[in-house]
Amino acid sequence: MWLPFIGLIIGIILGLLTEIRIPEEYSNYLSIAVLAAFDTLFGGIRAYLQNIYDEKVFVSGFFFNIMLAASLAFLGVHLGVDLYLAAVFAFGVRLFQNIAVIRRIILTKWSTNKEKVEKN
Amino acid sequence: MDNQKLNASFTLIAVLVGFMIAIQFQTIKEPAERDTRDIWQLREALLKEKELQSNLLSEIRSNEEKLAAYESKRKQSKEQTLIDTLKELKIEAGLTEINVPGITLHIEPVIEEIKPGTPVNKVVSPELLKRLLNELNMYEAKYVAIDGQRVINTTVIRDINGVTKIDGHTINSLPIEIIVGVDGNNTAEKLYNRMKVSKSSEEFFIENLKLSVSRPNPNVTVPAYDNSIRIRYMEPEKEGGDS
Repeated sequence: MWLPFIGLIIGIILGLLTEIRIPEEYSNYLSIAVLAAFDTLFGGIRAYLQNIYDEKVFVSGFFFNIMLAASLAFLGVHLGVDLYLAAVFAFGVRLFQNIAVIRRIILTKWSTNKEKVEKN
Repeated sequence: MDNQKLNASFTLIAVLVGFMIAIQFQTIKEPAERDTRDIWQLREALLKEKELQSNLLSEIRSNEEKLAAYESKRKQSKEQTLIDTLKELKIEAGLTEINVPGITLHIEPVIEEIKPGTPVNKVVSPELLKRLLNELNMYEAKYVAIDGQRVINTTVIRDINGVTKIDGHTINSLPIEIIVGVDGNNTAEKLYNRMKVSKSSEEFFIENLKLSVSRPNPNVTVPAYDNSIRIRYMEPEKEGGDS
């Protein structure tokens, strides 16, 4: 269970150590890709907790969402409309929903566990 | 069972996300360094830049000076002197076209003397031309061209089988034009006045030819000598010879 967190930390350390910097004008794309990745990650966690987890959906969703978000931002830049805001909004809303669902599931699990302990 | 596989993919994605976050963080963090210098520090920086600018300017100036020095050195060099001398000598020898003040003389048959049935005099005798040339030279003519043929020091005017030739150029039709160049406008004027009263025109008239002199022109073009000059009795002195 703790392996994903360790992976996250390893990824951050790796990123900080490599000192890679992308050009200023592309940071928009990366930020939106990060948002999409977060959304997918939390979606995966929620699906796992709800027992409807499908690895294919998870992995493909991760890459597809990132690419979609980046291409939306790209299109927005070229059309002169801040289309990436749409992606930010969509991902933001989904992120909050996912986190809320995860919180509720964990809360229910916790309370049922407590009841079980009290019964025993 | 499936848990391991799930963990693996989750971990992989987590690593990727972490990597992206780190890069984004670094990229965003970079320009966050705000300029917090106060006015004195800014002035100091400005002073430094100004110093740099003045240094660059002085460098440019010194380079330009160097360039000018090289230029003048080149001008004063032996090579340039030789080139200048060569040019002067070429002008003097008559190998270049030249634009100077001067006058133009025309030699044409006398119309009143043309009688029906008799051949028109079409030949200028070399003696006449020689006399004319000598007279012109006496009056400080420097550059002379007869019928487009430049007269130089080695030019010969002679009669070959009844045809007047100037250095191989045949004069067989009239009128002909003689362009005379001199060194200054005053000289041109003087030459013009002298030619107007010269004996040459009378001598030409005896041979049924009319010599007319045009007004001095501030800019006549004397053509270049177009044959090669053959030097038969001159040799370059060998350097370091035993003479």
